[in-house]
Amino acid sequence: MLPIISADGVGKTFRQLKRQSGFSGAVRSLFSRDYSEIRAVDGVSFAIGAGEAVGYLGPNGAGKSTMIKMMTGILTPSAGALSVLGREPHTHRMTNAAEIGVVFGQRSQLWWDLPVRDSYDLNRHIYDIPEARFADNLAYLTAMLDMASFLDRPVRQLSLGQRMRAEIAMALLHDPKILFLDEPTIGLDVVAKDAVRKFLAEINRERGTTIILTTHDLVDIEEICPRLIMVDEGKLLFDGELKRLRASLGSRRRLTLEFATDPGPLVLTTATLSADEGAAKHFVLEDETVSLIDVLNEVGRGHGLKDVKLDEPDIEEVIRTFYQNKPSLAGAAP
Amino acid sequence: MLRSLALIPHLVGIYVRTRMEYRGAMLLAWLSQAFSYAAMYAAIAIIIFRFETLGGWAWPEMALLLAFHLLAYSLGAALSFVQFRDIEEKVRLGTFDAILVKPVGPWLFIAFSGLNIGYGGHIILALGLMIWSLTQVSADWTMLTALYFLAALISAAMLTAALMTMIGATALVWVRSRHLFSIFFGFWELARYPLNIFPLPLQVLMITFAPLGFLAFIPTAVALGKPVPLLGDWAGPASLAIGPLFVLIAMAHWRHCLRNYQGAGG
Ligand SMILES: Nc1ncnc2c1ncn2[C@@H]1O[C@H](COP(=O)(O)OP(=O)(O)OP(=O)(O)O)[C@@H](O)[C@H]1O
Ligand SMILES: [Mg+2]
Repeated sequence: MLPIISADGVGKTFRQLKRQSGFSGAVRSLFSRDYSEIRAVDGVSFAIGAGEAVGYLGPNGAGKSTMIKMMTGILTPSAGALSVLGREPHTHRMTNAAEIGVVFGQRSQLWWDLPVRDSYDLNRHIYDIPEARFADNLAYLTAMLDMASFLDRPVRQLSLGQRMRAEIAMALLHDPKILFLDEPTIGLDVVAKDAVRKFLAEINRERGTTIILTTHDLVDIEEICPRLIMVDEGKLLFDGELKRLRASLGSRRRLTLEFATDPGPLVLTTATLSADEGAAKHFVLEDETVSLIDVLNEVGRGHGLKDVKLDEPDIEEVIRTFYQNKPSLAGAAP
Repeated sequence: MLRSLALIPHLVGIYVRTRMEYRGAMLLAWLSQAFSYAAMYAAIAIIIFRFETLGGWAWPEMALLLAFHLLAYSLGAALSFVQFRDIEEKVRLGTFDAILVKPVGPWLFIAFSGLNIGYGGHIILALGLMIWSLTQVSADWTMLTALYFLAALISAAMLTAALMTMIGATALVWVRSRHLFSIFFGFWELARYPLNIFPLPLQVLMITFAPLGFLAFIPTAVALGKPVPLLGDWAGPASLAIGPLFVLIAMAHWRHCLRNYQGAGG
């Protein structure tokens, strides 16, 4: 299958005038040609096929938004080759725009003072959407995203969750082949996040819309994206299935056993002791297949076990482990 | 191209509807702006009545100059000023990015989706003053003069929109453009007086690098048959060419800035 997005050694370097402090510094920097270079994206390569859902993950400043901006034609790459739907996005920005949808979690594309419906209506003209298809899509999206109650209210009166649903619907009215979302769940509460995730997973499944989303929230990726691309400092660190990342790192669940009195040293085959506070002992479960029952069976009765606490590693921790092991694992990525 | 033109009424429509959300405030703004211009013009009139002429221009001629200045500026600025002044903010907030992901020319989108009906007060005042002054000036206008006057007005409006576009576009690369707008308005203030009352270097500046001499003084002087310093007989053709010329320059500059757009972080 031919990829619909392919990045080949893509880089983006921002040039920034070096600022000097103080008044004389300000005057000097007026005439200075002294630039500092920020490599926001550095030699990133990947290929994404039609119908995939890909999560683009990385810490602040990793270059996620910059990559999205290049794929949507906003910014010109300073190195490498980028192709979206068979075109260079920045040289064919407007043609590209007609076939993609973009959602920015941090900025609205709706007309603030007007009812949601008015923004949609303008988009119908901008994207030249046939009347019947527009009506169908609007009906489908309104039902799916439960928007009927606020479609006719001015955007300024909407809650963040309502607005975000309206933004996502707006990006889908023209049946884009690819939907780009830059932090679509930022600032939403649990219920609103859940609604957005379920919906995105659904349109990816039902309509075959390719989804690329950036996020800090790993649950987004767990629920929407089978595939994960991880970047840091502009470089690609991991590209593959989330499951594979988990497995290759081990799940590293943490177990705390509390005893009535200090049972003395305790060595287990199912868990590794990480800290011993006497009556409280902390273990790490390296092996994914080991269950809590297995551990408790091994500990056995008679130690006066008072309490057990098992912490599932959130994916944050998986990622943190990944960063700690970065050099060894980066090579393992395809 | 045709599809873009067909989009214009819808872009204008959405902006008008936005403003109509606050129609009371807008009417009040129209009134207060028209009043403040009228008061300023009254002050200029009083001075001219004391000294009879200003740089050889009597009050009805001055009134025509002021009316031309306000009308040409308002027509151009309605299409550009607030929209392109705010590019700075659009870049900072990232809303400019959102415009770039639409299948529509960003200039067209920005200019028309913000077509500023707030200039209605200016335009009504300018038209009134222009009609009154045309009945007062003792000029025997031919059809040709009238045509020239109209074409020069359009050219001056184009010049305004082109300069605004160029200044606003610099924000795409430099992020800030506000100081350039204040320079524009500095010259814009001077442009409502006869050019010949200024020292020579300033006159040169106002027909070259800061060509706001063409906004009102040169076309009005040509239409009234008054002498134009430095340009002489070239003043007529030059005032017609200046608008289209600056539109071409502004288009090239706009494209250049778009290509070099870096966005803001985030
Ligand atoms: N217009 C710009 N000019 C200069 N530097 C920039 C610009 N845009 C981004 N950068 C820099 O490029 C790097 C990557 O920024 P980017 O916005 O892509 O990060 P991100 O992964 O989206 O981060 P976040 O999670 O905080 O949104 C950062 O170091 C940022 O400071
Ligand atoms: Mg970002």
